[in-house]
Amino acid sequence: MIFQPAIIALLSASLVSVAMLLAAAPFAAQVIRHWDIASGSERQLRLERRTYLFSTLTVFVMATQLAALLLFVFNADKMSEMFVGAMCAVGTLNVNPYGFPALIAQMTVFFLAAAWLAINHIDTRAPDYPLVRVKYGALLALLPAVALVLGLQLEYFLNLEADVITSCCGSLFSEDTKGLSGDLAALPPVPAMAIFYVGMGAAIAIAAWHGLRRNAGYLVALASIAAFAVAIAGILAFVSLYIYEHPHHHCPFCILKPEYGHQGYLLYVPLFVATAAGIGAGAIQPFRGIASLREVVPRVSARLATVAATGFALVVVVATWMVLRSNLILLEG
Amino acid sequence: MIELRDVRKVFNEGQHNEYAALSGISLTIEPHRVTALRGPSGSGKTTLLTLIGCLARPTSGRVSLHGRDISGLPERFLTEIRRKTFGFVFQQFNLIKGMSALENIMLPAYPTGRPHKELKARAGSLLERLRLSHRGGAKVEWLSGGEQQRVAIARALINDPEVLIADEPTANLDTALAKEFLALLERFGEEGRTVILTSHDPLVVESAAVHRVVDMRDGQIVSE
Repeated sequence: MIFQPAIIALLSASLVSVAMLLAAAPFAAQVIRHWDIASGSERQLRLERRTYLFSTLTVFVMATQLAALLLFVFNADKMSEMFVGAMCAVGTLNVNPYGFPALIAQMTVFFLAAAWLAINHIDTRAPDYPLVRVKYGALLALLPAVALVLGLQLEYFLNLEADVITSCCGSLFSEDTKGLSGDLAALPPVPAMAIFYVGMGAAIAIAAWHGLRRNAGYLVALASIAAFAVAIAGILAFVSLYIYEHPHHHCPFCILKPEYGHQGYLLYVPLFVATAAGIGAGAIQPFRGIASLREVVPRVSARLATVAATGFALVVVVATWMVLRSNLILLEG
Repeated sequence: MIELRDVRKVFNEGQHNEYAALSGISLTIEPHRVTALRGPSGSGKTTLLTLIGCLARPTSGRVSLHGRDISGLPERFLTEIRRKTFGFVFQQFNLIKGMSALENIMLPAYPTGRPHKELKARAGSLLERLRLSHRGGAKVEWLSGGEQQRVAIARALINDPEVLIADEPTANLDTALAKEFLALLERFGEEGRTVILTSHDPLVVESAAVHRVVDMRDGQIVSE
């Protein structure tokens, strides 16, 4: 089971990421302890030179983590045909207790990596390495998270057993299921649509405002996280119904399947990119007071907020288009 | 003003062939003056020039320009400083064969995004100033040593740098051409340009065009 190209790619990506972060960890500790930009000592100059190498290494790790999420979901969906009872990624992820934790951990690392990349980006825009300690401290904090992803993936992929009868998405995302997924699926379409359009509209407005006025960075991050939740809820509650043209099929994973033209990717890719950009815009706000970043932070966060606004707007447009072109009639008259 | 504080440069550090090219150099180079670094081969003159011109980083110590540390700057900022602040004349001139003198002169200005017409006019006026107008279209490999050197000088001046750095500028020239170079040096001095050059040619270091001579030996400053 483990010898699937996607699984090998995912495990390799995680292994390489952990190995690279482990290799960078002693350097990060040295930077945190000994960095002194005022000094011309041999050690300081060596740290300055090596920071390029380790920053590039870490950017590669973080970029790998961004791509890994997409591959993880794609793989989970693709493998569904191998398990009895699995109709989509939900069945595959339910084969053992590590599937969903692995997905959630990968998503968390995705957003943390986005925040780190935003911090690293502004640091490289200043001549005096103002955030070098912060970003290497964050790197040390990220190491356990990336290691956790590797651990969960190993547990998940090594314990995939083809003879396990798994449950399909219908049992997890139905109106009768107890828990958050059931509650969201049970939301009536009109309030669900209202929450979706108002929530997404607010997030777009806040991000666009910051893009122009550059004074609401933290709010953009909060609005982006909220918009992410609202969008997932909207997909569960009504968008999926219109895609499947079925009033009771709420699965947020089946929309990724080829039978539905992989339409889910049209929603999820801009949603994840927008949320990551929004979180990035917020993550760099604490550093706007630093002299060498006074101009950089507003400019970069405005650009990130514009990406967030555009991404969320795309989600709304795509979702609306999916609703309008559907043959399903949920709302009368 | 360029200031060096306790600068060391070690090559092949930690290897069996470790070599300390510079040891504890502290030096202040005043603006608008012609400074010559004099010393025998292996004294560290060229290494010092590369550190001042941001072509290499010191092993320890700092180099600052107008009070701003330039030895520790991230690469993206160094590129800008190299392009705008320093003009380089290399010992072997390092002109690009197959290209004309005019094209060679214009080359360092392309990344600045200035309009081609403006660049061509600037390169033309530099050629005229260096009495090379008639050779602008000639491929550099067809030029004599003296002409090649003047093209190299024009190329170093295309971005109007504050500091002109020249490594052994007369090493490949005969006495007549070396005197021509000294005349140019005198003009740069009169214009108030900062010039830093290395030389062990008495014709250069003892000339009136040079305001200050710094003697080096074994990677250290021995006298001024």
